[in-house]
Amino acid sequence: MDHIASTLAPVSSTLDSYLPVVLIVVMAVGFGAFNLVATELIGPKVAGKVKMSTYESGMDPIGTARQRFHVRFYVLAMTFLLFDVEVVFLYPWAVAYTKVEPGSPEAGLYLGRVLFFVLTSIVAYVYAWRKGVFRFD
Amino acid sequence: MTDLLPISLPAWLTPQLLVSALVIVIVLHVALGAAAYGIWLERKLSAWVQDRVGPNRVGPFGLLQPIADGLKLITKEEFRPRGVDVALFSIAPFLSVIPAMVGIAAIPWAGGLDLSAFGLEGVVRLQGADFNLGIVFLLASASLGVYGVTLGGWASNSKYSFFGGLRAGAQMISYEIPMGICLLCVVLAAGTLRMDEVIRQQTDHGWFLLHMPLPAIMFYICMLAEANRAPFDLAEAESELVGGWHTEYSSMKWASFFLAEYIHVFVGSAFFAVIFMGGWSVNPLPFGPDLPDVNPASWGALGAILLPLIQFGVLMGKVVLMVALTMMVRWTLPRFRFDQLMRLAWEGLIPASLVCLLVTSAVVYFGKQEFMFIGGLASIVLVLLGRPFLPRDETNRRIGMIGSRFSPVSA
Repeated sequence: MDHIASTLAPVSSTLDSYLPVVLIVVMAVGFGAFNLVATELIGPKVAGKVKMSTYESGMDPIGTARQRFHVRFYVLAMTFLLFDVEVVFLYPWAVAYTKVEPGSPEAGLYLGRVLFFVLTSIVAYVYAWRKGVFRFD
Repeated sequence: MTDLLPISLPAWLTPQLLVSALVIVIVLHVALGAAAYGIWLERKLSAWVQDRVGPNRVGPFGLLQPIADGLKLITKEEFRPRGVDVALFSIAPFLSVIPAMVGIAAIPWAGGLDLSAFGLEGVVRLQGADFNLGIVFLLASASLGVYGVTLGGWASNSKYSFFGGLRAGAQMISYEIPMGICLLCVVLAAGTLRMDEVIRQQTDHGWFLLHMPLPAIMFYICMLAEANRAPFDLAEAESELVGGWHTEYSSMKWASFFLAEYIHVFVGSAFFAVIFMGGWSVNPLPFGPDLPDVNPASWGALGAILLPLIQFGVLMGKVVLMVALTMMVRWTLPRFRFDQLMRLAWEGLIPASLVCLLVTSAVVYFGKQEFMFIGGLASIVLVLLGRPFLPRDETNRRIGMIGSRFSPVSA
């Protein structure tokens, strides 16, 4: 691993380079908090029995909205997790892989390992496809 | 630098930090203005498409309309229906707008600035945060937007909002995967996660839009879906779900959702312009002249001021082009159906982007990054060749015109 560390670009980004991120988060949260408080303070407040009901095409709302929903959304979310974790693992690989000597056996090893890694996800993907996870009709 | 100023600065207050803070303050306001005037532009464009006039009462060409809208929205009643989850209902719009604004920090709005033109030392980057993981940061902040939409729909206690939030959640996580894989192709070709380095690669080797057209198009599609824009605005489909997840919202909370959407479009367009259209590069080809990344010492102080302005102008021109394209797509294409939307992401974009990833990594294996366009062509051919071998879904087949009851030809 030493040769990779030596060929990577010099690390110019220390913790200091994240200070502007803190600044922009503070500004964005401040913007949000200002809007939240401003809308509470300004503007009329009139309550009414019918007015306070949620919109259901003009009818009286029936029951609560937080009901059970279809299991396909859960299954889809789990399949998403599988792929998202895979993509997250591929980012460091992509940066390190381009630093290896092209065409060398080492590059082949890097490529082969990640191909096997992607292949394991593709097996799961084909299984999910055949089980109809992606069918929403 | 410290001996030039009358007071001594602490060590952490570097020129880069000062420049970054300045860029953030400027660009955040530009983005908010762009969001407000994006709405004006959208109304004008939709009017143009539909042969109407559009807003024309408030100011010349209706240019003061966004300000009037903003004032009106702030003074509107902040309305919260019975049965909502108060805490989640209140913070959901801001969970949506804050990640959209934070993403601005990673975009390089201009190149480097050599401070020796002003008698100082060092080179600063004209971007919000000069760090090593720009692309991952932008992807991460964009995907945080799903919380605001889903929680807003859940907290509203309205069935329309609930369905909208559910759909938005499923849609946004589905399109995140092909988006990530398309970006991975760019990272492989550029060999870095730094956004300014990606731009330098493109000024050397030509724009990635020409090298990798398929990932570029797929990334654009995913960007539309991530921002919940038509033809993927299933989550707020007004003909089925009234307003979707923002049905029960009013006042500035409602406006925050829309600000978030337009800032998403703005930042997404800038992201696309940087990683596929070469940022401030004016020459899409690998040869020929282009703008320098850092102002040369021979240009003097005037060049040091003018070059970043020109770079910023070029990038903003591309951003406006992409935003206008996004709006034209909205007003010309019909909305997808939900099962079509899901099938497009999982059965269309993900296999195609995996093919692109394999082809790109093969090109990188041979070390031929400057001939990446051959890989781009090869991936298009492979995707077209592989399409007939994918299992075809027989439900919802298209009905042929002749012989159907919709046929203009009488049977």
